Amino acid sequence: MDAAHIRNFSIIAHIDHGKTTLSDRLLHRTGTVATRDMEEQLLDSMDLEQERGITIKAHPVTMLYQAKNGETYELNLIDTPGHVDFSYEVSRSLAACEGALLIIDAAQGVEAQTVANVHLATKQNLTIIPVINKIDLPHADVAATKAQMEDILAIPSENAILASAKEGIGIDDILEAIVARIPPPKATGAVSVQALGFDSYFDMYKGVVTHVRVFNGELHAGMQVQLLHSGKTVEIKEVGSFNPKPYVREKLETGETGYMTANIKSPKDVKMGDTITDARNPAPVLPGFKEIHPMVFSGLYPINTADYEHLKANLGKLQLNDSAFVYQAESSVALGFGFRCGFLGLLHLEIVQERLRREYDMDIIATYPSVVYRVVMTDGTVKEIDNPAFLPEPTYIERVEEPMVFAFVISPNEYIGDMMALLAEKRGEVDHTETLDPRRVMLTSTLPLSEILIDFHDRIKSITRGFGSMDYEHAGYLTSDMVKLDMLVNGESVDAFSCIVHRSKAEGRGRTLAAKLKEVIPRQQYQVSIQAAIGGKVVARETVSALRKDVTAKCYGGDISRKRKLLEKQKEGKKRMKSFGSVNIPQEAFIEVLKA
Amino acid sequence: MFEELAVEHLYVHVPFCAKKCAYCAFYSEAASGQLVNRYVEALVREMQWVASDLKPKTIFFGGGTPSLLNLGQWERVLQTIHRLGWHGAAEWTVECNPATVSLHKAKLLRDGGVNRVSMGAQSFDPALLDRLGRVHSREMIFKSFDILRAAGFDNLNVDLMFAIPGQTLASWRQTLAEAKALGSEHLSCYEVIYEEDTPLFEQLQTGAVQVDEDLACAMYDELLLAAADAGFQQYEVANFARHTASAAAEVPDRACRHNVNYWRGGSFHGLGPSAAGYVRGVRTRNWSNTTMYCEQLERGRRAIESTEELPPLARAGEIAAFGLRMTSGWPLEQFQRRTGFDLRQEWRPEIDRMMELGYGELNQQRFRLTSKGLRFADWAGAEFLRS
Ligand SMILES: Nc1nc2c(ncn2[C@@H]2O[C@H](COP(=O)(O)OP(=O)(O)OP(=O)(O)O)[C@@H](O)[C@H]2O)c(=O)[nH]1
Ligand code: SF4
Ligand SMILES: [Mg+2]
Repeated sequence: MDAAHIRNFSIIAHIDHGKTTLSDRLLHRTGTVATRDMEEQLLDSMDLEQERGITIKAHPVTMLYQAKNGETYELNLIDTPGHVDFSYEVSRSLAACEGALLIIDAAQGVEAQTVANVHLATKQNLTIIPVINKIDLPHADVAATKAQMEDILAIPSENAILASAKEGIGIDDILEAIVARIPPPKATGAVSVQALGFDSYFDMYKGVVTHVRVFNGELHAGMQVQLLHSGKTVEIKEVGSFNPKPYVREKLETGETGYMTANIKSPKDVKMGDTITDARNPAPVLPGFKEIHPMVFSGLYPINTADYEHLKANLGKLQLNDSAFVYQAESSVALGFGFRCGFLGLLHLEIVQERLRREYDMDIIATYPSVVYRVVMTDGTVKEIDNPAFLPEPTYIERVEEPMVFAFVISPNEYIGDMMALLAEKRGEVDHTETLDPRRVMLTSTLPLSEILIDFHDRIKSITRGFGSMDYEHAGYLTSDMVKLDMLVNGESVDAFSCIVHRSKAEGRGRTLAAKLKEVIPRQQYQVSIQAAIGGKVVARETVSALRKDVTAKCYGGDISRKRKLLEKQKEGKKRMKSFGSVNIPQEAFIEVLKA
Repeated sequence: MFEELAVEHLYVHVPFCAKKCAYCAFYSEAASGQLVNRYVEALVREMQWVASDLKPKTIFFGGGTPSLLNLGQWERVLQTIHRLGWHGAAEWTVECNPATVSLHKAKLLRDGGVNRVSMGAQSFDPALLDRLGRVHSREMIFKSFDILRAAGFDNLNVDLMFAIPGQTLASWRQTLAEAKALGSEHLSCYEVIYEEDTPLFEQLQTGAVQVDEDLACAMYDELLLAAADAGFQQYEVANFARHTASAAAEVPDRACRHNVNYWRGGSFHGLGPSAAGYVRGVRTRNWSNTTMYCEQLERGRRAIESTEELPPLARAGEIAAFGLRMTSGWPLEQFQRRTGFDLRQEWRPEIDRMMELGYGELNQQRFRLTSKGLRFADWAGAEFLRS
């Protein structure tokens, strides 16, 4: 199609504001999907996405729309992942578009993720079409939503379209606005084809299927193309688009969106945000490419050591569809052989764990997640440390820098005090407080990424009885007083329990961990001492007293069989424990402690 | 490995009690006259079943409360035993509850060939007897004891319990002193076991009672002292007996030989509802339901609910494990004869480990647990199990 009749857009919204429902509506209204084929939430195809109602991968869908002016347009909708863990993916998806539909729930108003997503879209210079959704709800408050749009997002509210994705209200207005307001794609004028690869998935038969947006020239089967960042040259086997199922097209022209296959076996060969160009006559790279670096690391270990190979195979399979996920073999004294895994964020980590458990039926333990610290050594070199075990000795360390985030927290007025207290507890500085509307304020705060990893979001939800929201963006590194906390069991350090913590929190965390360990380590033949130590200095201790006896008082002929089975079971249980010197620690202890 | 000859030990379960005690998980139910009669007839049939493979050196009637059978019912049982030629057993024990022995019944049993009575006293403290839900009073213990002596029993056991919720160390000392004064030939003392599906277990779950491990250990220490002081020799975790012969012995001569056979992994037939048997390596268990038990036998079938036969090494491990409950441990040669395995070879690492910990002792003749090791007999036993 000629570029003048193409529109590329994304939908951005806070969780549950109706992104997926609206996408489905658009597919339906444009006849892309017949009513009888409509499954609810069509675009969320992965099981987990359906269940959690979150979009993990960016799906492009091509729709043909006959506008009121009688002309037919090719509308390419790129559904982006909604979570900040995937903000680079979001930024790449947005880079494939000229515009974005910004959905705001009329009953909830602007939320934290709305703010963060608008920041991203503005950075990409996208035309934003504001849509106030769910106006059918009895407590929808359009006026207040408009006011927030102006005050917080600086978006003129008169352009907002009132809609109900659920009731089908405003859908035509939205489609017309897409045609009228979003600029058509313009060729870059480069010497040859330029296409952005913005996501990929793995297909059993076709290999890696790369999602592409053509910025200049065209892509077609048989072409030799080069992937500028990965350096690979490949021959295109097939190009096509999605409706939302893939269909083959003769070519993809300037402004169009779809996919290409090229017999690429490993997703690692296609970098997210890579530029695809003519191999013989390469054009310059498209702007905005970044190597993705995992932000959060955690060790994944099979509960049953015999499952190691199995876990390895499954991690490989997962990586096929998730190039942001990285892993590498490691071993732990406590947990045996496993993998150090890198994730974009905590949600990403949870998703991977859950998929391993559910789709691959694996029993795994995850060690306490760690962010990546930058350690500046006394000799001036810089080390990136994502595993407490590798933190150098303090004497060699000049300083440690930790990753920071810039967080938007939205809270009802009455919880503001508790929210400030929470931010202080998480070592956050409140940079800014802004009144959103008569009921709510928005706090912006700079705080360490490590502090928001575990329970920050849950705490906000519980403080605000579910009405608060939070989103963040990465904000570089800051020098911080970090120390390594070790847990010693009868004098031996148990590596799986070690963590890097801020000095001000080390003692408290040590005490919590020691108390938890005391709870979960069963009494044994000996007394077991548990200590938390920072660089050899013990900051907390607990003792599990020795068993004084282990004998059944009464045991005669009729009891032997039952008793034997009982003893066998207990013995079996002990086999699943890990031994530290003479101390047995059950598998569950590791899990419990990691949760503490 | 197995006895070529007929089995030499017989256990008979009498599944009736006047009232269920708070801690008891044995299979027993309230005795209705009708059902008891039916049970006695079924038991007679079951005895018939094993007659060809039994020449008992020991017989043990346990329960439940065997002494609850009335005179007529006992006569029927004794008659059968005589008819089958089993009455010459060197040790023939009947368990009695203090409230259930009349002189008449005691004499009937004694004259019928019973030569040992085990009396479930449990405590001499009235408050604790009440706590345990026992039907008898403290006075009835003394009275029953006198009756049994008068009937001619010269081999009596008294069962006691300790670490009963509410029991103090002083009360336990008092009970031990009274037991000594009674002058029985044998003493069995058990720490309370919280068995699932008992009222006591419920109370533990709800937190109404708590376990005080230190106190229980102190009571056990007290027991060892008092038993020695009263002239008893310990021969198993919970069992103490007098030794009358002048030559010292690993197992005192008033020990319960029937029970020793259990710990030594010997064969025995088990009759009656819920009774377990172990014959040449095969364990069996009868239905734990008196009516069902009777029906099966009335239809001319045995009342076995389940059987289990372990492969040789697992069986040997089980035998090793349970034999270690005896203070004399395992005579190496006897173990080899019984199981076909050399204890010192097959269980070398375990034996070494026990010795390192001071839990075990090995010499030319035997391996045994030390008095410290006996307190961890379950743990030690589990180590010896083989799958
Ligand atoms: N009443 C009403 N409910 C709506 C409307 N649009 C969506 N919903 C409901 O709001 C909920 C969330 O809708 P989704 O479409 O899954 O929202 P989403 O933005 O895709 O959510 P995430 O993918 O989790 O970010 C669902 O229960 C929808 O049925 C609307 O216009 N009116
Ligand atoms: S008398 Fe003995 S068998 Fe009967 S309920 Fe009491 S403890 Fe159990
Ligand atoms: Mg969605």
